[in-house]
Amino acid sequence: MHIPDGYLSPQTCAVGYAVAAPVWYLASQRVTKVVKTRNVPLLAVFAALSFLVMMFNIPIPDGTTAHAVGGVVVAIVLGPWAAVIAVSVALLFQALLFGDGGVLAYGANVVNMAILLPFVGYAVYRLVAGRSPLDSTRRVVAAAAGGYAGINAAALAAAVEFGIQPDLFRTSSGAPLYSPYHLSQTIPAMALPHLTFAGAAEAILTGGVLAYLARADVRRLVPSHPGVPLSAGDAPSPRRHRVLTPGRVTAAFLALAVVLTPLGLLAPGGAFGEDSPADLDLGRAGIDAVPAGLEKYNGFWSHTLLGGYGFSDGQHATLAYLLSAVVGIAVVALLVFAVASAVGTVSRRRGGSGDATADVPVGTSA
Amino acid sequence: MSATAPVATRTPDWLLQGEVGLCPCGCIGRRRKGSFVEKTLTGGAQLLRQVMFSEDVAARGGLLQRLDPRTKLVSLFVLLVAVGLVHNVGVLLAAYAVTLVLAAASRLPLGFFVKRVWLFVPVFTGIVVLPATLSVVTSGHVVVELWSWHGHPQGLTSQGLTSAALVVARVATSISLVVLLTLTTPWVRLLAALRAVGVPRMFVLVIGMAYRYVFLLLATVTDMYEARKARTVGSLGSGATARSFLASSAGALFGKSHHLSEEVHLAMVARGYRGDAKTLEAARFRPADALAAALTVALAAATYGGDLLVGR
Repeated sequence: MHIPDGYLSPQTCAVGYAVAAPVWYLASQRVTKVVKTRNVPLLAVFAALSFLVMMFNIPIPDGTTAHAVGGVVVAIVLGPWAAVIAVSVALLFQALLFGDGGVLAYGANVVNMAILLPFVGYAVYRLVAGRSPLDSTRRVVAAAAGGYAGINAAALAAAVEFGIQPDLFRTSSGAPLYSPYHLSQTIPAMALPHLTFAGAAEAILTGGVLAYLARADVRRLVPSHPGVPLSAGDAPSPRRHRVLTPGRVTAAFLALAVVLTPLGLLAPGGAFGEDSPADLDLGRAGIDAVPAGLEKYNGFWSHTLLGGYGFSDGQHATLAYLLSAVVGIAVVALLVFAVASAVGTVSRRRGGSGDATADVPVGTSA
Repeated sequence: MSATAPVATRTPDWLLQGEVGLCPCGCIGRRRKGSFVEKTLTGGAQLLRQVMFSEDVAARGGLLQRLDPRTKLVSLFVLLVAVGLVHNVGVLLAAYAVTLVLAAASRLPLGFFVKRVWLFVPVFTGIVVLPATLSVVTSGHVVVELWSWHGHPQGLTSQGLTSAALVVARVATSISLVVLLTLTTPWVRLLAALRAVGVPRMFVLVIGMAYRYVFLLLATVTDMYEARKARTVGSLGSGATARSFLASSAGALFGKSHHLSEEVHLAMVARGYRGDAKTLEAARFRPADALAAALTVALAAATYGGDLLVGR
């Protein structure tokens, strides 16, 4: 899914760099703080590894290529922040040595494959693996699921970046300036091969490598899995902190909402009589007049900021939709944060420790 | 692998079966679809060849080779943005012609330069944007009618053709620019330039070391596959065995790399590494570079201004 230069507008590329830059900064801070100089050779080796994994491209008929990235493996063994750096470096090699992925589009490629892919993949891996021991089959399945989810998230992001181009940038005659396909075309085109071939490739690679490491050298996984028992018989060390902090819940919601938002642009029309009762197909519903209650309360609240997800003049529909999405997501995220904080406070007061029930170690019954 | 060698007394099939013939008159013997092992081996060899050739070209004394890598790096970015903003195919083609002139002035073999750009991505891009020329994807003024749908003519639209030409020309020009930079700059100097334009030290260090490890790991992969091939009678196939081999070798490579990085770190610390990188020679900014920078700005302005003049 490497995006070459020329498919995305310079404006979109600038947004890509703007998103990637703070993540790079955070990643280098995090990674340097954890083990200091030791990371340099480690990251270099894993960047080279990721590069080699990505070398084997399968062309797919949507403009780019499908291949395993290996970012989720790096995220599982070294943590997602290290994966950001390793995959970014591998992408840089590809852009400079092979012209595979552009230099202007490098920021966008990094957002897709070096940021979204490891973080989404790692989150799914953590979610599925739970507190299972390091050598369990569940962990292998979790790794495969993480790889599958990660590469599909990256592909979806690339499809969205392609798909918003024709709406935003056109010549005066209406010819699209950059990637000419709409979201309704790019999302299926990217999703189909990634849900099948590339997803399978990444799942096999991620699950296979974890299975091998668990079999051959399980101790390599210990530093990145603090508190997780080696095998079913071992007693786990006590957990250090709560996994579901309000901040994390909110961050997860934000990520999910941002990924799902563009789907709304694909929706063909309104919901059942959403905009006005006149849109209802009354004959099909078996009634011959608009119900009185609906008539009465329709338009009861009309003081909306962005009515119908658009500006009042009806211009710039896509931009207005995205702006509505940003406002909506921000409001709901605040709400999620408030609810999560409240739940945390209540459960702490009741049980002394907020995660007392969730923290029953896996190995204690054995 | 026992399933692939049913009768032990006969001559094994792989000795009798021809693969791709290496005779100059063309292929003799039976062509088989290469397995993933062969693809990996040839892929690795190609990478090495390509990179070695790049370093070779970068050592020649041409126009761009003489310039400071920092100037070239910044110029590349400026020109890429200018090319990205162009709305007119003619302007893009003119910009592409300029890259050809620059390549010739830098003593790059033109055939190779053109092939490297046009053989892979834009031809591929061309196929990709082909459906967009049709009225079913890009609605607009139909210029070539191919069929009709409920009385409406359908076919190639002028908007679709313009859009496709724009994308292909822009991709070709952008890739030419990047190839110009990478073919005329040795990798080490390119890294120094990255550091000079503000890329954090740790990134540059990781990039520099990763570049070396690519070749080392490539050799390791090649060895692993060759060893496996030497131990296997018949083909590796593509079933569960092949998949498990692939995952295991990736896992083994992971383990080896981990081990290697620990050893390298110890060796680095033993030699006095404290997280700083030092370069032997400092790049100098000369009058020629100032001239090149001025020319770049002029070129970018000409591209963008020309586009505005021609009309959007």
